[in-house]
Amino acid sequence: MSVLRIGHINIRVLDMDAAMNHYVNVNGMVKTHEDAAGNMYLKCWDEWDKYSVILSQSDTAGMNHIAYKVSSDAALDDYKKSIAEYGIDVVEEDAGVLECVGRSLRFNLPSGHEMRLYAEKEFMGTDVGSTNPDPWPDGLKGAGVHWLDHALLMCELNPEEAINKVAEATKFMIDVLGFYLVEQVMVGPDGDIQAATWLSCSNTPHDIAFVGGPVMGFHHCAFFLDSWSDVLKAADVMSKNRVKIDVTPQRHGITRGYTIYFFDPSGNRNETFAGLGYLAQPDRPVTTWTEDELGAGIFYHTRELNEAFTSVYT
Amino acid sequence: MFFCREDQHLLAGMAAMGKRGIPSGCHGGGCGVCKVRILKGEIDTLVMSRKYVSKTERLNGVVLACRTFPRSDIRLEVIGKMSKNVLKPVAKKKYGFV
Repeated sequence: MSVLRIGHINIRVLDMDAAMNHYVNVNGMVKTHEDAAGNMYLKCWDEWDKYSVILSQSDTAGMNHIAYKVSSDAALDDYKKSIAEYGIDVVEEDAGVLECVGRSLRFNLPSGHEMRLYAEKEFMGTDVGSTNPDPWPDGLKGAGVHWLDHALLMCELNPEEAINKVAEATKFMIDVLGFYLVEQVMVGPDGDIQAATWLSCSNTPHDIAFVGGPVMGFHHCAFFLDSWSDVLKAADVMSKNRVKIDVTPQRHGITRGYTIYFFDPSGNRNETFAGLGYLAQPDRPVTTWTEDELGAGIFYHTRELNEAFTSVYT
Repeated sequence: MFFCREDQHLLAGMAAMGKRGIPSGCHGGGCGVCKVRILKGEIDTLVMSRKYVSKTERLNGVVLACRTFPRSDIRLEVIGKMSKNVLKPVAKKKYGFV
């Protein structure tokens, strides 16, 4: 059994029309479904399953849940057992509770974030198909993002009260869900406090990341772009559309990704993330960033951690 | 003091004039760092996160600057959570991120 990849993310938005305009016309996703409650489902052109983003109208911003797709239906039974044995309450949901998805598991990470696992989601195919495909489809809007790549979740970190939800969530992802540690930030007087982690279940530098903050929350979800020039064009698209950019095109020291941080109209941070960085492997030595070089780890060019990185999230 | 057009929210107006004082975050009403109290003047607002501005606060003139448009001269005070970094020297983080 294994986790394949991030499957979707359910984001709360304050204004659905503004949110749809952002995810469709700026990010370049396509609406594929709408449920009876008015939740909107969207996919990127290079994804083959029905959706990777669910937008839900709410009076607060943030993330409702994050979902990962697992290798087989039988794997759900195995995960259900191992999650429960780890001491975490897990609920099995019938097929269709998540729209267009088979049966699923619902539980909370030790950090408090709600996670779902599922094995089947309605197939749609990519916009270029699977037979003699062109490298990209015509008619892409905005940044034309390829796929939902990863998410970063903020976890409570308060070493003086012996609270480190980064370390707890990381241990769970490794011990129970089979992820492996790729990069980490170690802080504190003795450099022994795990303050941030980047974990993979595939061969990309991260499929999920955890960073310590004063309270838990949603830091960002990232969409994949192919190259640095795509990142530059995406930034142009954002300025044209008066999107609030948090960090203009830059490289992350951690993961080596080419990035833009920006906000959707409800203040949920998005990222366009390009470049594969390196081939992540379970036996690759874990990269460790020390507290004194933390700024360069996050933003390699400015080498400074901006205040918004740890203060501004939903 | 800064000039702000009626079609700009207070945070964008501040930033466009190169001014500082109100903490600048998501500009979408979601993160809460630009929380201010309107002391004087008329405003229009867009929807903002209930997590950071309660109904009671809203009735008492508390808003997020990024969701607030001026309809007259405005006087405000900053109450957002990054305000410590604007009004006081930045406290050193003891553990990298916190």
